[in-house]
Amino acid sequence: MPREAEPSLNEKQFLLQAIQENLRLDGREPDQYRPLGLTFGDEHGVADVTLGKTRVLARASAEVTVPYADRPLDGVFTIATELSPMASPAFEVNRPTETEVLLSRLLEKTVRRSGALDTESLCLVAGQKCWSVRVDVHVLSHDGNLIDASCFAVVAALRHFRKPDTSIEGGVLTVYTPAEREPVPLGWLHSPFCVTWSYFGDEGETALLDATRAEEQVRVGSCTISLNRHGEICQIAKLGGTPVDALMLLQCTSIALAKVKEISSLLDRKLDEDTKQRNKGGRAAELTAENDR
Amino acid sequence: MAISTEPEAALSVLPRADGSAKYSHAGYTVTASVNGPIEAQRRDEHAYEAVVDVIVRPAAGAGGTRERHLESILQSSLSQIILIKNFPRSLIQIVLQIESTPENDYVNTKLVQASLNFPIIPALLQTAVLALLSAAVPMRATATASVVAVVPEGQTKRMVVDPSPRDLDIAKSVHVLAFTSHDELLLAESEGDFTVKEWDDVYETAQRICCRPATTAETDMAIDDEAAGPDMRHFLRSTMETKIAADLHWK
Repeated sequence: MPREAEPSLNEKQFLLQAIQENLRLDGREPDQYRPLGLTFGDEHGVADVTLGKTRVLARASAEVTVPYADRPLDGVFTIATELSPMASPAFEVNRPTETEVLLSRLLEKTVRRSGALDTESLCLVAGQKCWSVRVDVHVLSHDGNLIDASCFAVVAALRHFRKPDTSIEGGVLTVYTPAEREPVPLGWLHSPFCVTWSYFGDEGETALLDATRAEEQVRVGSCTISLNRHGEICQIAKLGGTPVDALMLLQCTSIALAKVKEISSLLDRKLDEDTKQRNKGGRAAELTAENDR
Repeated sequence: MAISTEPEAALSVLPRADGSAKYSHAGYTVTASVNGPIEAQRRDEHAYEAVVDVIVRPAAGAGGTRERHLESILQSSLSQIILIKNFPRSLIQIVLQIESTPENDYVNTKLVQASLNFPIIPALLQTAVLALLSAAVPMRATATASVVAVVPEGQTKRMVVDPSPRDLDIAKSVHVLAFTSHDELLLAESEGDFTVKEWDDVYETAQRICCRPATTAETDMAIDDEAAGPDMRHFLRSTMETKIAADLHWK
């Protein structure tokens, strides 16, 4: 497999000097995202996210399994991120690169450990049967800021996903097929999103939001802030050796909150549109087997 | 879920890959990327020909034996049509990402299935060929593929082209056939019980779909009325024509 081509010295200096003069190659403001697009698939739980030229496809699926012995009351929830050579020929199958490890770690901390999905609601029979919810993240095209795009795709896919309805009568578990009963949504508690800042310059004095791949290759450090629209921070990961001024970090966090509010309302709007589109006959309310919480 | 009966395709959908294609037909959606010819790894490289590396990635779950089997089938078929002798010591890498498969509403699907998923092979092969064309990899011929199931209907049997998951459940046998653009048989895989007569019928049906001769505009309408199933070769050609027309728009 070939190595990822590094930018030449000229390219590097051109890019860095432009950034120093507060210019970005694609003409964006320092705190501006590339156009963020989201489309849902025909099935439930498929989200296709585009962020400029970066494209990520997330797909949620569920099946019934045995819970872990040490957590008999919890369901299983996994996020699988495997970068294929489709994103870049430098990625190899079954050999995780640093990018892949960081991506899966950050998604794990942001979505799984922040308790976004209510894993207790996935339990069917304590210690014997539970739902195993799995999200597969497929990176189709890598043009920087994989973390933000993937996190958005994972959250969108999980919120769009419907798992088959179940019932327990006399200790017998029945899983209904989609033809018998309308599938039900997951127990969702809050929607965390990642916002990644990249730092440039010798002392990390310039901060840019949503770096492209070229910008990622010349940055000195990055900081990923995960939070939901209520401003509750799930994690902050500051990567890269260069220290960053504390005041600037505070400023970054407050801008991140504003961005998360925008992203969050975009997702809500898209989900609403999708529900309306699926509910063409106006019978969704009759079909639903979901109870109010 | 509305299943499209007409195949649809888009070329060069991914900005970074050398060539890419997205193809959907009969409920299957596959995206493929092709990189090549690129530098092969030391342990893989072949002194006289290019190595064709096919990677099939399932929509959900990690790839297993089933995907490895699909990869080996596709790898041997595609090596036949790519001019691998032109690129010694290099690698042509084809990644096929399955995006969606038709679902059977009457059965709960299990994530890990050991059985071979036959009806997806035409979609995979078709996408791979489109992506190879988009990457301008020299090929001896293009290929078209089709899946035919033999479904019992009372005492008689019926041929179903592009069977639905419900048809597949009751099918006696399932056959996948691929033909090159020179009308040569490229791939024939069968599963289930069938007689030689049935296979001959299947072969004729598949050949009719894959190898319909190019028609002129006047006779087009008449043939469309009687013909069953899509015309894959015409589809491949028209997709490429549209793409080339768009690319050469400036001329």
